[in-house]
Amino acid sequence: MNSLIIIFISTVLVNNFVLSYFLGICPFLGVSGRLESAFGMGMAVTFVMTIATAITWLIYNLVLVKFGLFFLEYVVFILVIASLVQIVEMFIRKFSPPLYQALGIYLPLITTNCAILGAALFMVTKGYNLLESVVFGFSGGLGFSLVLLIMAGIREEMYYADVPPVFKGASLTLIAAGLLTLVFMGFSGLVSS
Amino acid sequence: MKDTIKIIGVLTLVCVICAFFLSFIFALAREKIEGNNNKIQQEAIYRLAPSAEKVTEVKAGNDVIYKLFDNKGDLIGYVFLAEGQGYQGKIKILAAVNPCFDEMKGIEIIDSVETPGLGDKIQGEAFKRQFNNLIISLPIEYVKDVPNKDNQIRAITGATVSSRAVVNILNDKINQLRERLLEK
Amino acid sequence: MSKTNFLKGLWKEHPVLRQLLGMCPTLAVTTTAINGLSMGLAVVFVLFFSSFVVSLIKKVVPHQVRIAVYTVIIATFVTIVDIFLKAQFPQISRALGPYVPLIVVNCIILGRCEAFASKHHMADSLIDALGMGFGFAWGLFLLGSIREILGAGSIMGITIMPQAYNPLIVMILPAGAFLVLGLMVAIMNRIEQK
Repeated sequence: MNSLIIIFISTVLVNNFVLSYFLGICPFLGVSGRLESAFGMGMAVTFVMTIATAITWLIYNLVLVKFGLFFLEYVVFILVIASLVQIVEMFIRKFSPPLYQALGIYLPLITTNCAILGAALFMVTKGYNLLESVVFGFSGGLGFSLVLLIMAGIREEMYYADVPPVFKGASLTLIAAGLLTLVFMGFSGLVSS
Repeated sequence: MKDTIKIIGVLTLVCVICAFFLSFIFALAREKIEGNNNKIQQEAIYRLAPSAEKVTEVKAGNDVIYKLFDNKGDLIGYVFLAEGQGYQGKIKILAAVNPCFDEMKGIEIIDSVETPGLGDKIQGEAFKRQFNNLIISLPIEYVKDVPNKDNQIRAITGATVSSRAVVNILNDKINQLRERLLEK
Repeated sequence: MSKTNFLKGLWKEHPVLRQLLGMCPTLAVTTTAINGLSMGLAVVFVLFFSSFVVSLIKKVVPHQVRIAVYTVIIATFVTIVDIFLKAQFPQISRALGPYVPLIVVNCIILGRCEAFASKHHMADSLIDALGMGFGFAWGLFLLGSIREILGAGSIMGITIMPQAYNPLIVMILPAGAFLVLGLMVAIMNRIEQK
C-alpha cells in the first residue's frame, strides 16, 4: 500500500509526465489554451492511460516476456494503444453519449499522444507489477490533467498581457512552462524512499 | 465483406512482414548487444580490482558474486551487483568488498538514469571515491556535511535522494550477502 | 520544386521552431549536444525509410487502416534504430533511453507520412523527408549545444568555458529545456519578421 501511495504522489507531483518526462507536450501546447478543453483532454488521457497500462502490462509479461519477443515491444504496444483508443471510442459512443460528447473529439488525438506510449514504456523500465502499473498509469494521467489545467489558467490570464510580439504564442507558452517546471521542482524532496 | 477481408489481410500481412524482418535483424545484433552488457561489467570489475589475477563466479541465491584471487591464489575480496530504485529509475551498482565483508574497496555505477546535472553526479569520481575503504561492519550512513565517522559518506548537494538511494541499495545487499557468505 | 521541397523543412517550415512538432524528444534528450544530434539522426533515418515504404505501398493500403499500417511501419524502423544503437553505441542508447521508442509517436513522422508521402511521388516524398529530418536534427543539435555550454560548460563533452565559470545547472534540468526552446522560438520569429 505504501509503495502505491509513493508511486501516486511521485508521479503526479515530483516526476510529472509533462514537466519532467516531457510526455504529451503536443496536446499540452495545443489544447491548454482554454480551461474547458484542457479538462476534457485531461480526463480522456487519464481514462485511456489507466486502461492502457493494465493491458500493455498483461501483454508484455504474459506474451512478450514468455516467448522472448522483446524486439516486438514497440510494434505491439503501439498497436494495442491504437486499437484500445478505437474500442474505447466505440464503446462510450454506444453506452454513454454524454461522456462521448465530452471526450469524443479528444480520443482520436490520443493515439499519437506520446504520454500513453510513454507510460507503457516507463512502466516496463521501472519494473512495476500489475497493480503498481495501473496506479502509475492513473496518476500519470492525473498529473497530466493537473498541469494542463494550471497551464490553461495561466494562458487565459496571459492572453491580456502586453508582451513583445515575437514572444506571442508558442514562445511565451514554453517559457511559462519552464517557470512552472521550476515551481514543481519544489516538490522534489516530498517523497523519500 | 470483401473490403473487410482486404483490410484484415493487409494489416496482418504488414504485421507479419515487419515481425519477420525485426526478428531477423535482432538475431544479427543479439550477440553484440549481450557482449556490450558483459563488457561494461567486466571493465567495471577490472577498475574495482586491478590487482585481481583470477575472477570466478559463484551463485548465491539469485545473485551472482565474483570472487577475486591474487596471483598466489589467495582470496582478496568479492565483487557483487546491487540494484534498486533511484530517484528517476533503476540504479545498478557493482561494489567490491574485502574477504571479511567489513570494508568496502570501491563502487562503480554501471547503470542509472538520474537527473543530468544533479543526480547523475553519483557517477562522478568525487562521489564514488568516498566508498573506497569505507567501513561496512556498521550500516553505511550519509550526512549532509563533512563525514566524521568511517562508515559515513557525504551526500551530493541537490541530489540527496539519489545519494540516499545508493546507500540504501548497498546496505540492503551487504546484509543479504553477508549472511549467506558467512554461513558457508 | 524539389529544391524548395528540401529547403522548407530546414527553415521556413522548420518542424521544431516553426511548427512545434516532436516536442517530446526535443526537450527531453537535449541535455548535451551529442544526444541531440544522435536523436536527430535517428529521426532522419526513421523518417526517410518510413516515407520510402509508405510511398511504395500507398496504392494497396485500404484507406481505413492506413494510419495503423503507417504506425506499424514506423515502429519497425524505430526498433531497428534502437537495436542498432544498443549494438553499436551502447552509451548513447543508454542516454536516450525510452525516448528512442517514443520516436514512434513523434508527430513529425506520422504527419509527414500521412500528409506528404501518401499523396506525392516517391522522389518528392524522400526529399521532403530528408529536409524535415535534417531540419529537426539541426534544431536538436543547436538546443543541445546551448544547454550543454550553459549548463555544463562544455560542448560535445569537451570543456570550453573557463574554470571560473559556474555552470547554470538549471539549463540541463527540465526547466532549462523549456526556457531555451522558448527563447529560440522567439528569435526565429524575430528573424522571420524582417
